Amino acid sequence: MAEKLKNYIGGEWVESTAADYIPVENPATCEVLAECPESTAEDVDMAVQAAAEAFEEWRSTPVLSRAQYMHHFKNLIEDRFEEIARIAVEENGKTLDEARGEIRRGIESIDFAMGVPFLMRNDGVEDISSGIDETTVRQPVGVYAAITPFNFPVMVPLWFLPTAITCGNTFIVKPSPQTPLSMQIVYELLDELDMPEGVVNLVQGGIEAADAILKHPGIAGISFVGSSPVAKKIYEVGTAHGKRVQAQGGAKNYIAVLPDANMESSVRNILGAAYGCAGQRCLAAAVAVGVGDAYDQLRDELVKQVSNLRVGYGLDETTQMGTVVSAQAKERIESMIQKGVDEGASVVVDGRNKAVDGYENGIFVGPTILENVTPEMTVAREEIFGPVLSLMKADSFDEAVDIINASHFGNAASLFTSNGKFAREFKYRVRAGNIGINIGVAAPSASFPFGGQKDSFFGDLHGQGSDAIEFYTDRKIVIERWI
Amino acid sequence: MASLNTFGAIMTHAVNLEAGLHEYYQTVGDDARAKDADKRRRTMERIRRETVLEITLEPIDGLDEADYALNLDDTSAAGQQAVEATAARFYAEVAPKINVRQAQRALERAGKAHQELA
Repeated sequence: MAEKLKNYIGGEWVESTAADYIPVENPATCEVLAECPESTAEDVDMAVQAAAEAFEEWRSTPVLSRAQYMHHFKNLIEDRFEEIARIAVEENGKTLDEARGEIRRGIESIDFAMGVPFLMRNDGVEDISSGIDETTVRQPVGVYAAITPFNFPVMVPLWFLPTAITCGNTFIVKPSPQTPLSMQIVYELLDELDMPEGVVNLVQGGIEAADAILKHPGIAGISFVGSSPVAKKIYEVGTAHGKRVQAQGGAKNYIAVLPDANMESSVRNILGAAYGCAGQRCLAAAVAVGVGDAYDQLRDELVKQVSNLRVGYGLDETTQMGTVVSAQAKERIESMIQKGVDEGASVVVDGRNKAVDGYENGIFVGPTILENVTPEMTVAREEIFGPVLSLMKADSFDEAVDIINASHFGNAASLFTSNGKFAREFKYRVRAGNIGINIGVAAPSASFPFGGQKDSFFGDLHGQGSDAIEFYTDRKIVIERWI
Repeated sequence: MASLNTFGAIMTHAVNLEAGLHEYYQTVGDDARAKDADKRRRTMERIRRETVLEITLEPIDGLDEADYALNLDDTSAAGQQAVEATAARFYAEVAPKINVRQAQRALERAGKAHQELA
């Protein structure tokens, strides 16, 4: 019988009050790995109480000591790096390289948090008025929570937790019920740190737990990553309940390829961008726009290289693309491909009904290329969140920029070119939060803020970097006179 | 035998190659070389962990494990030279396929060390 997961609240592993449990399946084998509780509002309330009780002691723990915990945390993750990577593969279906890559990104965020003693420093001015000094102090706010998605079960929670707690806040993570196991291990490591009980808490679950977090009066702020409709709801409900909210939503990331691009190496990178994590990431390349003569070369090179991509079980290191996360995801992706066909696109490479020897129960969708896609089609407008790349033609650079800017999403966009003028124009004119020049996955590293524009982000302060320091602290102005 | 078609597959092959050489030289009774191989194994594990960069992960082609099989049963001087030559060739051929410079440098350095013994 599969293990029933527990919550981590107030420094202890405690059973959820949930009546229902969700099976956590390995999407390559359909083996049930564990059962995730549908934690209740009561569970969330217990976590908030524990976090609130820990706050005063934690905020008065010297910031250098808080940063020191992050040094130990990083070392513990490095020690169990391979184990965590394998578990992320088992529960998510991605490849080992992708899992290792996301853990490394998570560690980058821990590295960033070690800089909090410097980043929390502020400024002041003597004699702002005669004999009066004015200074700014940055203070932690209270209890924060993160509601995180299935596609990066290690990295996304680590975007938030290390910086939040090193700033002096206490924290609750609610991972996706589809991929709760990675955080289970990460919290085993946090438990080893011997921080005051209640500084970090883990509540496993789905909608009920998320809803309770959104409305709980004891939570000061929420970091969220997920689809745009949910991100919008999280933002609206969370802010209506007086919380700070940063809600990162979905995407439809365009890549424009100019005739002067180095086609072979560009396509190799575009392939990684489109099919990495089986297209289940908010920075995945979804539409490639070939400009002028580039189109035919782009199409031919893509088809050539895609046919060599090896799809399989992520734990086999020769696998270049893993599974999608669930049968429902596969059904949705394949129905979107069909919708594209129904609306006039042609399938150049068809990943539907993909079978992999030895993994007959595996939930695979092979790499797919759709051609003759036009801006009004559903596959050009809406997020597919799967290994599907749509090809579009543009007569000019300006037309490509117009196509990209017409999207209601604005998470990322990339240009492949060897022309500096077009690169500069692209950076300047394209309305997306992350721009790649000859990089298909424009993922900011931990010291830079990460967030999209338009319907890809709801809030004002992005995740990571200086925005994270702003989000997880409040500034207090002290005006001082000694008489 | 499998294709070395990903960053991880190449790095894991390097880890296994050095682990095999560590045992090989222990059997031969050459503690210095065994220690060097173990050090390189640890380096390769660290490189696999630390330099994997998701934004530049790309498929790799043209490399197969079968081309770098070591005959670890032959412990003669000539056998040792042959093993080192194969290891050197492995590193020389995989390093240019890796698009992260730190990893490339570690692979080149390991290749040079093996070349000196070949």
